[in-house]
Amino acid sequence: MAILQWGTLIICSVVLLLRVPDAIRGRNRMVFGILVIATLCSLLSVPGPYAAIDVALGGWNVTHLILRLLVFAAVLLIGLQVAKGLADARGYRLVAGPPGRWALAASVVAVVAAFSLMDTRGSSAGLLDIADNAGHNAVVAPFYAAAGRTYPGFVSVVLLPALVGTATSHLPRMVRAAAFLTALGAVATAISVPACFAPGAWLLAQQSVNYLAVLGYVLGLCLFWFSRLGTKGGR
Amino acid sequence: MPISAKAFQDWLHQAAPSASTADICRISGIKRTTLAQQLVRGKVTETTVVSISRALGLSPLAALASFEQFAELASPAPPPTPAELVSQVATMDLLRVVISRSSPVQGGDGEEGGSVLPALSPAPHATSVRNWVDAVDDGELRHRVSAATGVAPQNYSAQLTANRLSPELAFATARAAGVGLTGGLVATGLITEDEAGWPPGAKQSALEALSNGELTALAGERLQALGKSLRRQEQEQAQTEKIWEHLG
Repeated sequence: MAILQWGTLIICSVVLLLRVPDAIRGRNRMVFGILVIATLCSLLSVPGPYAAIDVALGGWNVTHLILRLLVFAAVLLIGLQVAKGLADARGYRLVAGPPGRWALAASVVAVVAAFSLMDTRGSSAGLLDIADNAGHNAVVAPFYAAAGRTYPGFVSVVLLPALVGTATSHLPRMVRAAAFLTALGAVATAISVPACFAPGAWLLAQQSVNYLAVLGYVLGLCLFWFSRLGTKGGR
Repeated sequence: MPISAKAFQDWLHQAAPSASTADICRISGIKRTTLAQQLVRGKVTETTVVSISRALGLSPLAALASFEQFAELASPAPPPTPAELVSQVATMDLLRVVISRSSPVQGGDGEEGGSVLPALSPAPHATSVRNWVDAVDDGELRHRVSAATGVAPQNYSAQLTANRLSPELAFATARAAGVGLTGGLVATGLITEDEAGWPPGAKQSALEALSNGELTALAGERLQALGKSLRRQEQEQAQTEKIWEHLG
């Protein structure tokens, strides 16, 4: 049983469904798009669906590489949207401007390069059970994982000051709670980069940090939406 | 130090020996669940005591004074200072006085105290707590209150900004400022000016005693503070709208 994975998928799906009416009305479709990608990502993290899709794609775990790139797309959109929403001009410049573009490009190159250095035959969700190939994979795997989390980590660190500022401001309580949850997701995302190099025995802690990151962001976005409900400025 | 449930029960038994809890709640308008919760937690709020004593036709001041922590209220208090009285005049009332003094059309003739003052709304007003503390503050008051009560200065300031002050802090502030102990209770709206024993018309007289210059400067300070707080509210509203626009 992959409780973390299934739990994350269910929560993402619920949040996504909550946003459907607004998306149909044309309100904040960007956030809906982010949630679509996030739900897709969490679907690809569950072993069953992952195996089914990867087998269809040839069984060499290219699905995992696609998952990494989808995460980058989601993170880019979250970064732009949160920076705009919190009126964080500096954060927006860092994500949308040259630093952000370089970080994204470097991360994509690193992920693709590390992936191609590994022998990835044999579908395995999270690349947990691929053939060891004489110790070669074991060396590259943490770097592949870290490369996949570097760009999310970069965006999270960029967003963190504005999120913490909002969480500790005098804005409505629900808005602050939403910013707090999102900040929690950002912190978890940043921690997940060094966590890639943790010893194998820490797998559960490692995975918890990864899913905490997703949940923080998704539930934070959900709470921002919820904070608007029932207010006169909301509709 | 809030009122203990035990002390409250003793007081209630003396004040209304035959009344049941249900009766008390009915006549005082307190929700039964609220009172039950306060009794279970062992802490009864001062507001509860004031509401019940009003419903029973007793003096809220005397009722509070029967509890150990407010015992000093029983001894005759010095009357409120002119600054305290003026601090309890709402900003809009203050502006009305400025206008009525300066404009003959409004019944004023520009002479100090020479006009019929408009009726003043009763305390508390939107910034009554902060204005009262400012009126009794000699510059070191906050530190003394903090030292006496152990409440951190920033928590104290946060309460003032929200126009709130717990009765204990209001009491401690008045004691540290060396003014009548009822001032803070009036400013926070726990008891009315009448209930505190402030003479009727005291606020009017204190206003009349202000020169045009003093009155205008005071109104200016109040307006400036009001403008600042309105601007802050508008900014926060704009920030929230922006968040909802992009993330909500």
